[in-house]
Amino acid sequence: MKFKQIISTVTVFLFVAIGYAQEVKLSQQESNELRNNIKIKSEEKNSIKSEFIQLKHLDFLSNDIESSGILYYKSPNSIKWEYQNPFNYSATFIGDKLYINDAGKKSDLDLSSNKSFKSLNDLVVRSVKGDLFDATEFEISYFKDAQTYSVHFIPKDKKLRAFISEFIIVFDMKFFEVISVKMLENSEDYTLLIFKNQQFNQPISDAVFTN
Amino acid sequence: MRYLLISCCFLLVSCGSYPSKNGFVVDEVSYPTILNPYFSNPDLDYVYKAQIKISDNNFGGILIVKKINNQEYRVVFTTEMGNKLFDFSYIKDGFKVNSILKEMDKKMLVNILKKDFKVLIEENPMRINSFRKNDYSIVQAHIYKKDHYYFFNKNSLEKIIRAKNRNENTRFIFSNIHNDIIKNIQILHSKIKLEITLTKI
Repeated sequence: MKFKQIISTVTVFLFVAIGYAQEVKLSQQESNELRNNIKIKSEEKNSIKSEFIQLKHLDFLSNDIESSGILYYKSPNSIKWEYQNPFNYSATFIGDKLYINDAGKKSDLDLSSNKSFKSLNDLVVRSVKGDLFDATEFEISYFKDAQTYSVHFIPKDKKLRAFISEFIIVFDMKFFEVISVKMLENSEDYTLLIFKNQQFNQPISDAVFTN
Repeated sequence: MRYLLISCCFLLVSCGSYPSKNGFVVDEVSYPTILNPYFSNPDLDYVYKAQIKISDNNFGGILIVKKINNQEYRVVFTTEMGNKLFDFSYIKDGFKVNSILKEMDKKMLVNILKKDFKVLIEENPMRINSFRKNDYSIVQAHIYKKDHYYFFNKNSLEKIIRAKNRNENTRFIFSNIHNDIIKNIQILHSKIKLEITLTKI
């Protein structure tokens, strides 16, 4: 019994130690280097096509709500979220317009009248590109673990904070590409976007963005 | 005096109630112990693709219903992209708006949604009477002091009608039901242009 207690105490201690070791805050110099590398990568991107998995975590649910699809981005300002599972739905943002295709039901929305929604979308687009480093808009902090960098953005604007209390963008260490974007709400709830099979700067037809 | 009584009776019969208007026959019908079992399993997350049509405006999204425990339910509506549009809690007989998008925060709309979702989650409303019509066993019950008629076909709850005086006010239609999970739900309002369509995902 005593041996078991010792083992469990050591295990707990190890987990705590590993927990602390997992994320380390970057030094000022490391942060600057990371920011520059990501910015260079971001500026190189004229188009993105990426599969995504979206996990909606609500604290009271037994399971996260999972959906998936394909994200298309084309410079300067066209982006399409095409959900394919478990429902067919697409949201295409072109400038200030949002075009929705909900399983064949089409509608559009002028976002210039809905500033909070527009700024939220701008942020998601910029985060997918890895271009969110505006210190006037966010309190930014930089971390790393064995394989990834993660950058935490806390919006300074109170209205935006009502929707998103924090963005956490995870970049791979080798190519500085975005692996995931986590948008935390004020409570313990969040939306996590995980990207895979990303293709950059491949031609994407304008027809993709036609509703 | 006798003529006055007869006139009063005639007046009562002609005004009537929703059951008499629709030809319900009072009957001791058999119905399950739980009137509405569809959102009663706390181990399940009830997640629906939702369309809310108000006048000519459509709002799409995801509706999540969860029984937290025997006294508490959560009803949350998010966009497909995950942004929360509203978050309601039902605790015992109380109701709380945890959060709501500013654009949707209209007292009348919140009140309607509160009443509609209460019908979905209420397992055992107060029973008043029971009837029969054709193949349907019908239970009259009260939710928020309003008459609701539960229509059972072979012990399966297929629709609920909220009535005001003699007239139908709101109709809840449940279809494609397997193991107490409803695939399709429609909530249709007669007096206002509001229609909610839910499809299980």
